[in-house]
Amino acid sequence: MVRSRRSRGILAALAAVALLAAACGGDAEQPREAGEEGDLRGGTLRVQMESFVHECNFDPTCEFVSYANMIHTNLLQRPLMNYRHVADDPGLEILPDLAADMPEISEDGLTYTFTLKDGVMFAPPVDREVTSQDVAYAFQRMASQQQGNPYTYYFEGVIDGFELQKSPAEDVEISGIETPDDKTISITLSDPVPDILFRLAMPGTAPIPQEVAGCFPQSGEYGRFVISSGPYMLEGSEALDISTCDSMEPIAGYEPDRTLNLVRNPNYEPATDSPEMRSSNPDRFELSVNTNVDDIFNRIVAGETDTSPDDPPAQFLRQFAEDRERLPSNPVDVLWYIVMNLTQPPFDDIHVRKAVNLAIDKDGLLRAAGGELVGEIATHILPPTMGGLPSDEYDPYATEGFAGDVDLAMEEMAQSAYDTDGDGVCDAPECSGILHISRNEAPWTEFNPIIEDNLAAIGIELETREIEGGSAYELVSTTSENVPIGSHGGWGKDWPDASTFFEALFTSGAIQAGPGVNNNTGLVGITSEINEERELGIEGNLEGIPSIDAEFEECVAMELGQARLDCFNEVDRILMEEVLPYVPYRWDEETHLISDNITKWEFDQNAGEMSFAHIAVAS
Amino acid sequence: MTQIAAEPFPAPEPHAPEFDAVPSTQVEGRSPWQLFWSRFRKDRVALAGLAFIALLVAIALAAPLIAELVGHGPNDRFQREMTDEFGLPKGPTGEFWFGADQVGRDVFVRIVYGARTSLAVALGATGAALSVGIVLGMMAGYRGGWVDTVVSRTVDIILSMPVLLFAIGIVAACSTTAEGCLGGLVKPGFRLVIFVIALFSWPYVARIVRGQTLSIREKEFIEASRSMGAGGRRIMFREVLPNLMAPIIVYGTLLIPTNILFEAALSYLGLGVPQTIPSWGRMIADGGALFDVAWWLMLFPGLFLLATTLAFNLVGDGLRDALDPRTQA
Repeated sequence: MVRSRRSRGILAALAAVALLAAACGGDAEQPREAGEEGDLRGGTLRVQMESFVHECNFDPTCEFVSYANMIHTNLLQRPLMNYRHVADDPGLEILPDLAADMPEISEDGLTYTFTLKDGVMFAPPVDREVTSQDVAYAFQRMASQQQGNPYTYYFEGVIDGFELQKSPAEDVEISGIETPDDKTISITLSDPVPDILFRLAMPGTAPIPQEVAGCFPQSGEYGRFVISSGPYMLEGSEALDISTCDSMEPIAGYEPDRTLNLVRNPNYEPATDSPEMRSSNPDRFELSVNTNVDDIFNRIVAGETDTSPDDPPAQFLRQFAEDRERLPSNPVDVLWYIVMNLTQPPFDDIHVRKAVNLAIDKDGLLRAAGGELVGEIATHILPPTMGGLPSDEYDPYATEGFAGDVDLAMEEMAQSAYDTDGDGVCDAPECSGILHISRNEAPWTEFNPIIEDNLAAIGIELETREIEGGSAYELVSTTSENVPIGSHGGWGKDWPDASTFFEALFTSGAIQAGPGVNNNTGLVGITSEINEERELGIEGNLEGIPSIDAEFEECVAMELGQARLDCFNEVDRILMEEVLPYVPYRWDEETHLISDNITKWEFDQNAGEMSFAHIAVAS
Repeated sequence: MTQIAAEPFPAPEPHAPEFDAVPSTQVEGRSPWQLFWSRFRKDRVALAGLAFIALLVAIALAAPLIAELVGHGPNDRFQREMTDEFGLPKGPTGEFWFGADQVGRDVFVRIVYGARTSLAVALGATGAALSVGIVLGMMAGYRGGWVDTVVSRTVDIILSMPVLLFAIGIVAACSTTAEGCLGGLVKPGFRLVIFVIALFSWPYVARIVRGQTLSIREKEFIEASRSMGAGGRRIMFREVLPNLMAPIIVYGTLLIPTNILFEAALSYLGLGVPQTIPSWGRMIADGGALFDVAWWLMLFPGLFLLATTLAFNLVGDGLRDALDPRTQA
């Protein structure tokens, strides 16, 4: 999914002291022993953030933002499968949550049958046990949204009979989902999909009570009425009058763009859950919006609030650089990159793209963003935390100190037709006035002088336009705009499988028309037939654009495991050496500042955010 | 944004030769400009402002030379020398007189180049606003009728718009597509900034010019010209315009600092000149986030902005006092 978190109110530099080795080794804390649990229970966790960044008003059926996903999967929703919500590899393993056990899989590998646990209850006022029909209803809601819904893409063509329909959720029929009784659900796929269990861990697939959600069919409406099946619920849920649709008033605990308060769900039965997945320590979670980021962190230091998902401004990092207890840091499965549109001159020539990769001062970009602890330099696409090769093992465009090398870049440029006199400097008319989309906030405002300078040295004159993050994504993702180069973008995994780093970004099937829809912004695999068929409006060089569709199809059909990972690493290599739509420059590190009040800190590797499931506070 | 005070400015009387009641050995008629200069020169504060402006213009013109003397260009990055491992910049040193910014650029050299930006945009936009405002104001005042109505209502509408909101809107709307607005004519950048500033400045000029023209129009020498057969255009440009020069100079001079601040505001909001061109407003915006650990990023551009605006305002006031025949010399 696109990284929106870093686009909001981000101030200049981040840093923390942890080296990658320490971060890899240090933060995977196990839940404490039963004897110590009493010490960790209770208290209120207070979080302030510049914005909730809700793309769909917290409605689990369509909300796709990482922090909201963390809150849902950690505290409010119990999908069939889930994660432990801890750091590093243990946090990426999939386990049954609502399901009593791993599913029974049919001979042909197409039908997955789950038995639900007993005693999992919806919060008040619904006050009843969760059934398999509630799970089926969640899928019906995903298939019935009138507006764009990010989940449809993951189930259409995957689950038999799952198609986006105009009818209301209760009338949607999905032939591949069957509920023979209250405790059994079977899901049938059209073709074998090895990562199907990950898809069934997404918060949108968790059970939803039709008696409440049925009143709110529009995307986002249900967000103010979310009924929990997990250990916590929206404060004030019990006051909801569910006698009729009209009698329901928004639950007090969630005020969009202002506050989000969660309290314990009295109907939650810990025996139906596992402490390794949820410790449920605090009695209460108080989230609020504070648009002044400096103020947020001043309050954390003063103890008036406990933490924030926003990046700490440089002065706070410098202040706490020696005190790593207060400044935990975790590598996140995120890549930041510069994208070159393969159809737009001069980037339609691979020599130019290679020259650009050699010219960019990645070390300078990292320094400008805050140094070694905002992340590490990316040398290819798949982050090491997702199983990609570390930078010292694979760096196809290596330069001294990652600082870029003008001479090497010029050597490469000299081989391009756009360098008419072969002197290593782009001099054809296509080399100047190139529109470059970037963001109008830190650290991009510091990146742009570096990028412009680096490319000017090989004769590429950029016309940089700095715009707001969401608008930048929308503009570059609109195929008909034909933007040649953009440095606005980042990408995080959708679930812990390498395929989520390649499908949306590099397969031709993912290229779609419409404003802000396309994530394959390099247009890898595009042909003039596709351009016409899907009415993409691309104007440029559409001949001979390389594609990785075949290689991707091969890898995605493989069973989970080392062979599949090796297959995707090979796709990464092909992309970096033969296709090269990107200049990857950073793999992220997520750093938080925490108050004294937090007695136990944990990180949810799957969500890429702090772990509400395991955090503990003193009071 | 300050509005230019709409105080009535009496049209200067056409000059008649001076008579000396007492014959003396030296009888010299002084030209209007000599009169003006002798009055202006007594205003110490205005002279100080003028001196500062002259210095600023000199610095702006000599910017490349200064950069060469100092050894740093405005966009040369010294990241490894002047930023620490957290990406935070280092303050004033012997080599970097005003410190460095987040990517290690020399703040002093950028201030010098920023003077160019402020002056170029302000003068360009003011010049455009004056041209449009004078022509339309004269036409409205002299011709009256529907021309006056159209111009005056347009002036009223533009003057009642929330300027910054519209500027934000125009620039934002014209940056959402690759091409920009009006088929590529209106794109974020230098030209758009000047266009937006001029767009919101010309109504002030037009309204004042129109008022002045209305009173000049009734004077006898205009009637005399008309009776000799001079056409409207000739009268406007040969008779009316020269008598408008005094108020135009004053208000033009007072318009410049307004436009300098407008450009700074646009740049602060990220709607100004592209980042490769140093701008004081942009420097203040970029420095804001770090003001408690890197005070030099905001202080120096802020001081220069203040001093420049003050200087132009003082000169403008001095001009007005010197050109107004009603005040005592």
